[in-house]
Amino acid sequence: MINPISYWRLKDRYFNLLGTKCTKCGAEWFPPARVCRKCGCQDLVDHEMPHTGRLLAHTVLKEPSEEFRSSAPYVVGLIELDNGQRLLAQVVDVDPTGLQDDTRVRLTIRKLAEDTKRGTIFYGYKFTPLP
Amino acid sequence: MSRAYVASVGMTQVGEHWRKSLLDLMVEASLQAMNACPSIVPDRVIVGNMFSGAGSNQEQLGAYLASQLNLVGVPAYKVEGACGSGGAAVHNGYLSVKADESEAVLVCGVEKMKDLDVGRATAALAMADSAEYTQFVGATFISLNALTHAMYVKKHGVAKEEMAGFPVLGHRNAASARHSMFKRPITVEDVIRSPIISDPIRLMDSSPICDGAAALLIVNERKAKELGDVMVEVAASEVAANLFTIYERPDPLDYVATRAAAGRALAKAGVKIGQVDFIEVHDAFSVTAALALESMGVSGPGQAPKDVTKGRFNLDGELPINTFGGLKGRGHPVGATGVYQVAEAYLQVSGKAERNQVKGAKVGMTHNMGGVDTTTSVHILRREG
Repeated sequence: MINPISYWRLKDRYFNLLGTKCTKCGAEWFPPARVCRKCGCQDLVDHEMPHTGRLLAHTVLKEPSEEFRSSAPYVVGLIELDNGQRLLAQVVDVDPTGLQDDTRVRLTIRKLAEDTKRGTIFYGYKFTPLP
Repeated sequence: MSRAYVASVGMTQVGEHWRKSLLDLMVEASLQAMNACPSIVPDRVIVGNMFSGAGSNQEQLGAYLASQLNLVGVPAYKVEGACGSGGAAVHNGYLSVKADESEAVLVCGVEKMKDLDVGRATAALAMADSAEYTQFVGATFISLNALTHAMYVKKHGVAKEEMAGFPVLGHRNAASARHSMFKRPITVEDVIRSPIISDPIRLMDSSPICDGAAALLIVNERKAKELGDVMVEVAASEVAANLFTIYERPDPLDYVATRAAAGRALAKAGVKIGQVDFIEVHDAFSVTAALALESMGVSGPGQAPKDVTKGRFNLDGELPINTFGGLKGRGHPVGATGVYQVAEAYLQVSGKAERNQVKGAKVGMTHNMGGVDTTTSVHILRREG
């Protein structure tokens, strides 16, 4: 189950797709790197990632973890953002059978999961095909 | 610095052990190994396990097991590396003997998965990957492997009938193995017609959710000689870590940790991959077997599924793999798997593999991964004489 405290700590990162940027060589990282993987610099600052990218690969997931059961089946995509950084995200507003890799996608903020016992709704980043 | 030897092994049958607890399984496997060498009292207890906390509300497995075995006062602790926990635990036992800090180490790998329903087991397995960026978006462990499977098929144009060679081999070898979960051979048709879980991965591409425990006694040279049995040396034990998630890696299909661990292990044991008589490879999914074998240099890029289909990896083939069924056929009680593999390699090189014996096996290699090649261990066992 998503922990509401870690979610609170990370929500700005999730909603703005905040990674990090190296102050020395300018390399950008998502998920946020603490030490630059290019130059070893330890001075990195928060940096918003581009909101668009392309789909490298995808799968339609039918057996989700407990808390995502009500959403299944859904598409999980490996997405390469326009700065070259990659992430996993659900790809929504698509017919999975017709979804092609290399499709251009953009960020959208959607409901991810709900803790029905506590009544907490978790929002996060998903991606949708660009028109 | 002493050499390290496997003195004895114990394994519960892998399966759905509704009537046995985490502790029951650990004790059963450990006593099998200890009763085979009654003169040896372990001076250290190491447990390999992934999710006893999430699965059984139980931690401190080292003390939990040692206490039941009346081994009070010895060093006892758990080693964790997701599905690679077992291999990492064996590595820790090996190090203790090599460093002359222990003479006889009991290493036990255990996992109790069936106490969780499928949704909770899926969530527990996903803990191998990033909570903040993988689990959070709803990706599961299977979906990570499905993405690499899809990329692999796209890159190399592999037919699904060829990928199905891995589970077919696993079930065939498991059918004649005493401790395996599945006793029924399957066909390529069975695999490619099984339900899709996360496309292109089907049910029959996937190792099962199951329970089991395996144990080893790892001893120094003096103790091994005293026993007077066949001498099986742990000729190499290596662990390597990769960039944590597949989406952080420049090439998600490159099993960097497998390549590093296998390369170092072969170099330290002083053997070439062609001199290895069999390999126990981490076939959590068909694609993980293919990518691991290719990263070790056993098969060329995109060739492993063709090699398995042609019979190269059969029990009587050029390089047998997963001689007791591997993760797919024997079963994959995740934190126990790495210990099962080393126990199986011991049975092979000591000539005790019964109906699954690889003829003349002297050098065996095991390969165990936590995550998608994230925490990977490779062991090489060699019979002396």
